[in-house]
Amino acid sequence: MKQRRLLRFHGLKRARPRQTWNKYNLFNLFRLREPRLSGKTIFQQKWAAKAYTRAYHGEHIKERQWKRMFSRRLPSVVNMDPRYLATDDGSRLAKGRGSGLATVRSVHEEIPYMNMAFFPMERRLDIAIFRALFASSARQARQMVIHGAVKVNGKKMEFPGYLLNPGDMFQVDSEKVMAATGRPRPSQAKEYVARKKRVKAPTDNASTAEVEEEVEEDATEAEAEPVSGESAKAASIMAMREIRERAKDVIKAHKTEMSGNRKKALRALMKEARSNISKSQKSSTTLEETKTIVNQLTDAFAKLELSDEQRKEKEEREAKEKEPQVTVSKRDLALIKESERAKLENPYDPSKPYLTPWLPRPYMAPFAFIPRYLEVNQKICAAVYLRHPVARKGEAEVPTPFSAGLNQLAFAWYLRRG
Amino acid sequence: MPPRLPTGCSAQLVNCLDRSSLCTTQRAATAAGRPSWPSPATQQSSAFSTTAPRDLTINQRRFWKWARKGLGKTLRSPKPGQTNYMPSGSNSSRADVPFPTNPAFRSSPVLSDEARERIWENVMKKGLPLKAVSARHGVDMRRVAAVIRLKELEKAWEAQGKPMAIPYSKAVLSMVPTHDCAPDSPPFEAINEMHVHSYTQQQIFLPTSESRHFTRADAAKAFGEKILPPEKKMWVPELLQLEKDIASGVGIQEARSRFLQATAKSELEMAEKHAKKDAIANEENVRVNTDRFQFRFEGISVDSSGKTGRHIRGVGWRYGVPHNDRKPGAVKIPTKVE
Repeated sequence: MKQRRLLRFHGLKRARPRQTWNKYNLFNLFRLREPRLSGKTIFQQKWAAKAYTRAYHGEHIKERQWKRMFSRRLPSVVNMDPRYLATDDGSRLAKGRGSGLATVRSVHEEIPYMNMAFFPMERRLDIAIFRALFASSARQARQMVIHGAVKVNGKKMEFPGYLLNPGDMFQVDSEKVMAATGRPRPSQAKEYVARKKRVKAPTDNASTAEVEEEVEEDATEAEAEPVSGESAKAASIMAMREIRERAKDVIKAHKTEMSGNRKKALRALMKEARSNISKSQKSSTTLEETKTIVNQLTDAFAKLELSDEQRKEKEEREAKEKEPQVTVSKRDLALIKESERAKLENPYDPSKPYLTPWLPRPYMAPFAFIPRYLEVNQKICAAVYLRHPVARKGEAEVPTPFSAGLNQLAFAWYLRRG
Repeated sequence: MPPRLPTGCSAQLVNCLDRSSLCTTQRAATAAGRPSWPSPATQQSSAFSTTAPRDLTINQRRFWKWARKGLGKTLRSPKPGQTNYMPSGSNSSRADVPFPTNPAFRSSPVLSDEARERIWENVMKKGLPLKAVSARHGVDMRRVAAVIRLKELEKAWEAQGKPMAIPYSKAVLSMVPTHDCAPDSPPFEAINEMHVHSYTQQQIFLPTSESRHFTRADAAKAFGEKILPPEKKMWVPELLQLEKDIASGVGIQEARSRFLQATAKSELEMAEKHAKKDAIANEENVRVNTDRFQFRFEGISVDSSGKTGRHIRGVGWRYGVPHNDRKPGAVKIPTKVE
C-alpha cells in the first residue's frame, strides 16, 4: 500500500522539491518559491525552513536518524597555490602591527558554509547512488540497495543507511541502472496498438472456419467478375489469382508442420491478393499500379513459400553468389561497421524491462550533474566516494536547490537540538 | 422542509444544468489546449448526475502548458554535447548551475573517457608516479587512484566479456560537462586544497614584538601545538621544490625532471615501507593455506579485555557480559567494508 506521505509526493498545490528526476518535480523546481518568512517568529521561520529543506534532503530518513547524523562542523577547504607557498613564507601578512603593511584589498569571496547544512546526508549509500546518476530518485536507489543490487568494495551491502567512508567503491548492477535511467517500455496494450497500426495482420484466432468463408467468397467473386477489356490488366489479375491459389496449396500441403506465424502471414497475403483483385477490376486503378502490386505480392510470396530453414539456405547461397560482385567504398564500409557496432552496443531486445534500443528517460538532462566528491565510471556503473563534500570559496559541494538563507535557518534548527 | 418542484420541472432543470456545466468544461479544455476527458457522449449517458465533471486544476493546466509549450519542452530531451539545466530568470544565467536558486552549487566537469584512459596509461603503462600524473593533469591524487581502480575493473570486465552499460555511459557523458586532460588543456581541479582545521577558525590575540619575523609556521603554532603549516599538509610536497627551483632560475625542463625523480623516489620509499610492514605482519601471523581459503591466526592476549572485561579489544565471549549486538536498539549497520 502506498504510504500516506507519498500520496502527494510531487503535488503541485503544496509543492516541495524532491530528490527525483520526475517532470512534476522539475516544474516545482522551476517555480520554486521559498516559504514566506516575514511576519513569522524566529521559531516559526526555523520550523518552516526545516520542513521545506527536509522534504528534499532525505525525506525517506526518519528525523531521529538524521539528528544523529547531523554535524555542526561544516567542512571546508582552502586552495594554497604551491608557487605562493614556495616564494613567500607569509611574514608579509604579519608586518607592522600584525595585519600587514600594504593595504591592498583583494576581492574577498566568501565560503558558503551554510549551503553545507545537509552534508552528512551525502555520505549515505542510497543518496550517493542517486548523486552518481545510477538511479532516478533517492527512493529508487534505496530500493536497489535493499534488493541486493549494490556492492561496496566488492561485497554485497544491503543497508541503504551505510555511511560511505572516503575511498569506498560502490557498484550497482548495470541492468538495474539501465532500467532506472532508461525510458520505460510502453505497456503491452500500447505496444499491441502500435503493432496493429504498423502491419495490418490478421487476428490470432484464424481458424479453418475463416478459410472456408474465404472459399465461399471466392465463388461469389468469380460469378460477379466482369471481363476487362485490357488484356494486360487481366493478365496481372490472373497472376494475383495464381498467387492466391498457390498460397492456399502451400497451407494445405504443410498444414501440420508449418509455424503459426508463417500460416498467419500466408493468410494475410491471400486476403491482400483478394482485395487487390477486386480493386484492380475497377476502372479507376491504372495498369502500372496493378503491376507494382503484383510484383510486391510475388516477392512476399516468394519469401513465404519456403520454410525458414529452406529460405535461410537459399539466402546464404544467393549471398555467396553475390559477394564477389559487390564493391563497397571504404567510407561506406566504415559507416556500415559503425552502425553495426552501434547496433551491437545498443541492440533491440524485447526481453529487457526497459525500452530498447536504450534511450535516456525524458527530463533527465536538467538533473544530470555529478558532484566532485564522487568519481564515477559509467560503463561499469561503479563509483568511488573520494572524500566528504566540502565548501570552498564561492562554492559548496552539497547539491541543494535552496538558498543559503533557508539552509541557515534549517541548520539553526538542528543546531539547537544537535 | 423546503418546497419541492413538480417532477416535470425538475427534469428540465437538470437538463439545463447539465448543458451549462458541459459548456464550461469544454471551454476550459480548449483553453488548456488539451482534450478534457469527459466527452459529451459520456455526459449524456450519465444524465442523472447533476455534478459537473472534474476538470484539470489550475496548477495542472499550468503544468501541461509549461510541459507542452513552455520551458518544459526544451528541458525534456538532452542537448547533445552540452548541459541542459534550468535557466535562471535573471540575465546572468550560467550553463553550469543546475539549481538557479542556489548559485553556490555548480556542476563541475567530470573526466571524459579519453582522460581516464590517458591517466590509466600514464600510470599503468608508462609507469609514471601517481604524484607526477596528478601534478601534470591537475587531478587530485585521490581521484587519480580512483580512476585507475575503476579502469582496472573495467578492463577486467572487458576481458571477461561482461556486458557493460555503454549507451548509458555515452548518454551521461554527453549531458554533463567533461574535461579531456589533453596536454595543453588547463588543470582539471586545484590539487593543493587543504582542510580548514577548526582550531584555525578562531581569532587569536598573540602579543609579539614588532621586529619578529612571524611566518606561517609560527602562526600555525599559535593556533595549536599540533597544527601544521600548509607546507606540511600538501598531497604533493615535491611541488614546493619544483616551484623553488623555477624561482631560483633553474630551467623548466631541468626542474621538471628533478620533480619526476623526487616523486618516483618518494613512491618507492612508501612502497618499501608498506612491504616492511607486511613482512612484519607475516612473521607474526600464522598462515594456513587450504585449497579455498587462507587462514590467518593473529596472536591475542587474554589481558586485552581489560579489568572490566568489556574493553573493545577483548576477544571471545565472557560470562555475564552480553554482546553489544544483542542489546535492543543497537545499530547493526557496518561502519566500514574492507
